[in-house]
Amino acid sequence: MKKILSSKGFRELLRIVVVLAAGLILGFIITLIVSKEPIEAYKALLTGPLSRLNRIGDWLEESITLILAGLAISIVFNAKQWYIGVEGQMILGALVSGVVALYIPIPPFWRILLAFTGGMLVGFLWAVVPALLKAYLNASELVTSLMLNTVALKIFEYFLKNFIMPEKARYVSSFTIPPEYRMSSFVPNWPFLQSIRELWMKQTSVTWIVYLVILSVIVVYLLLYKTSFGYELRTMGSNPKFAMYGGINIKRTMILSMTISGIFAGLAGVHLTLGIHNKIIMGMTSGLGFEGIIVSILAYNNPLGVPFTGLLYGYLKAGADVMERTTDVPRELVSVIQAIVMLLITAERLLPAIQKVIAERKEKSNNRTKVGKKGEPNVT
Amino acid sequence: MQPLIEMKNIVKIYPNGVVANNGVDFSVIKGEIHALVGENGAGKTTLMKILYGMEQPTSGEIVVDGRKVKFHSSHDAIAQKIGMVHQNFMLVPSFTVAENIVLGNEPVKRNKLIDREQVLKTAKQLSEQFGLFIYPEAIVDSINVGMRQRVEILKTLYRQAEILILDEPTSVLTPQETKDLFQAIHKLVDQGKTVIFITHKLREVKEISDRVTVMRNGRVMGTVMTKDVTREQMARMMVGRDVFLKVNKPKMKRGKMCMQVKNISYVSDTGRQMLKNVSFNLYGGEILGIAGVEGNGQTELVEVITGLREAASGEVIVDGKNVVNHTPREVRMKGVAHIPEDRLTNGVAVDSTIDENLIVDRYFQRPFKNGLFINYKIVEKKCGELIKEFSILTPSGKLPVKALSGGNMQKVVVARELSSNPYVLIAAQPTRGIDIGATEFVQDKIVENRTNGTAVLLVSADLAEVMSLSDRIITLYEGQVTGVFPDAAKVTEEELGCYMLGVKHQTPEEMEQYL
Repeated sequence: MKKILSSKGFRELLRIVVVLAAGLILGFIITLIVSKEPIEAYKALLTGPLSRLNRIGDWLEESITLILAGLAISIVFNAKQWYIGVEGQMILGALVSGVVALYIPIPPFWRILLAFTGGMLVGFLWAVVPALLKAYLNASELVTSLMLNTVALKIFEYFLKNFIMPEKARYVSSFTIPPEYRMSSFVPNWPFLQSIRELWMKQTSVTWIVYLVILSVIVVYLLLYKTSFGYELRTMGSNPKFAMYGGINIKRTMILSMTISGIFAGLAGVHLTLGIHNKIIMGMTSGLGFEGIIVSILAYNNPLGVPFTGLLYGYLKAGADVMERTTDVPRELVSVIQAIVMLLITAERLLPAIQKVIAERKEKSNNRTKVGKKGEPNVT
Repeated sequence: MQPLIEMKNIVKIYPNGVVANNGVDFSVIKGEIHALVGENGAGKTTLMKILYGMEQPTSGEIVVDGRKVKFHSSHDAIAQKIGMVHQNFMLVPSFTVAENIVLGNEPVKRNKLIDREQVLKTAKQLSEQFGLFIYPEAIVDSINVGMRQRVEILKTLYRQAEILILDEPTSVLTPQETKDLFQAIHKLVDQGKTVIFITHKLREVKEISDRVTVMRNGRVMGTVMTKDVTREQMARMMVGRDVFLKVNKPKMKRGKMCMQVKNISYVSDTGRQMLKNVSFNLYGGEILGIAGVEGNGQTELVEVITGLREAASGEVIVDGKNVVNHTPREVRMKGVAHIPEDRLTNGVAVDSTIDENLIVDRYFQRPFKNGLFINYKIVEKKCGELIKEFSILTPSGKLPVKALSGGNMQKVVVARELSSNPYVLIAAQPTRGIDIGATEFVQDKIVENRTNGTAVLLVSADLAEVMSLSDRIITLYEGQVTGVFPDAAKVTEEELGCYMLGVKHQTPEEMEQYL
């Protein structure tokens, strides 16, 4: 059984790699047209993120956000709830954790703990409104959660500009959070790791949230596939009428799927403030919440696949940064390549369905000719 | 008289082997109203879809106006001036009434843009000519069912249809709307049109048609002048059976009362009263069958009892406790199991595994649940036992249900529902669409449960099934109990047919002691 499972996972990975390769080849053709130095540009895109330690750091930091956002999406998409409010939950998570880290006068350990709790809690609560609207008034969660993103962004802006931003600041941002109230490096402070720790800390800010992300992946996996709530959630996603008939409380499941997903979106926000930017700054989510959708779909909404697709997608983004900075190719081109990849993956996912339709048609016509020849009914 | 349409020896076999039409001869004379009656699944709609070009017959020929024709699609049928109004309307809800009428053949101005004035004018003109009242400028989404139907009819008339096929047009209408429709049909015939009217309501057949063709089991049982037959004769032609399935059934030992259904009424979302004061009792060790033509409230009754729909009034008492309008889980916890009529809608989640489908009513209980987690080892073991006991044909319980055939899917449903050791079993269409082997298996299991003391309510569109399985039978017509037959073995299908089709009624006093 394990063998089958692993080989299936391997097949999936192979599919993604092949599709990615196809997308990159198409992208290269476009690069040939627009760039004077296409080889260099592509080299920057493909190897750039690994070329320096600080770039590796950038890649990992961005990937962490993408993985958490992807996990949040995988929960709601397994329940077939088209909830896309991750962006708004992230920005509020970032805001709340930042405010706690900056202003609540308690010792560092408790302050960081409270920042995490606050960020995750606000993510949870932010989903309550669309969840209730869906459960009790059947309002499309797609619409409500999308609109609430804007509301969240504006709330964030309002607090940042009116209360948090120092008066003579040159950027719309808060004070920098003192180091003791942020997360520290992911390399533990042990004597024999000292040199590595210093090297990473100098060039990157990859924090111990890495371990929390690994834990989150496991938690979401267990939640979806091993708990009774996960069973309810997936059954509802598979056929809500069947779930109701079987006695599952659909409304409760719907609400919990969206709110629990919000916890991980909030966590992604905490990472933005306490891990990457070290302050609250305008536009800090920059659409990463929506990119979580891509990460989750690439992983077929399987939480165990999300870290891989998150890293893959993050790599493409980091490569784009390098390419933009070092060559004449604009980063928009990378968006084109990303779009092509997405298109190919969607097409590839549709392929089995199309093959099925073709097979059914064939069978139908075969049957017809069979019946026609025999001239008598073939009762099955 | 030369018939306008002749269908000769039509055979239609679907790819899955279902024989829908088996050597059907059918003819229509110009200017008549021809009723086509038969139970659900008798093959009337298939026959008409063939006439309208939507389905191709496996063999047989169609002659229109003396010329042999072959329809590849409904376009060919429309070209022969044949139009069809489907049971489910096919209108664009966001377009206006007039736009829907001309859709597909819109009047255009010289610059090729749609001539909106002409569209409105055409719609009004048609409406007046045929006496079918509409609001041409209204958005279809905002008009009622009756008017939508008139729009459908006008749509076919706009396409010059001379022969109109109406597929169960009254099933969605209120009595007043039905009356209006009948007037309109008469007006159509006065203007030289020909109407084919599909229905299973015999009263309507008598009221409107000139001739009637009765179908049963994919064959024509006869075509007669309506004035020459009584409703009883028609009912007999419709439901009379050629073969009876033999079920091995030990003698009944009636136990204590398990469920009491008292004065249940139900009103649908669209405001139609689907159930009116339905009352009966279920006893342990007995199968109570509900006979009725589909659409007479059976679905609603079952779903009200099982907590899937909210009753307007009435009580369902299980074991001394009223469970009406409780959640499905609360009803299930009282020991009520439910085999739903449509397994793909309610009975299974096709993308989930067989195991996951088998535990939906018990995953939250021991031994399956342990703390927050489900013990999937135990699930696999217990489900493996069920798969074996109910001979579900699959290599593993980890396969998705969609990998199974219809019969095996139904076995999954039956395995789950019967293995919960139900106090009351509600079985709706338990053998619909499954092969003979699986049918026998499911029927035997239901009888076995009844013999072991479960109270069973059996709803089936298959009258033979109701008659051979049930110990006691009640008939349901237009949401009301019209008759009760305390000994199922002593009643004939003709008699049941009369009650099912509303030809006869028992008085409440007559029924009281047997309900």
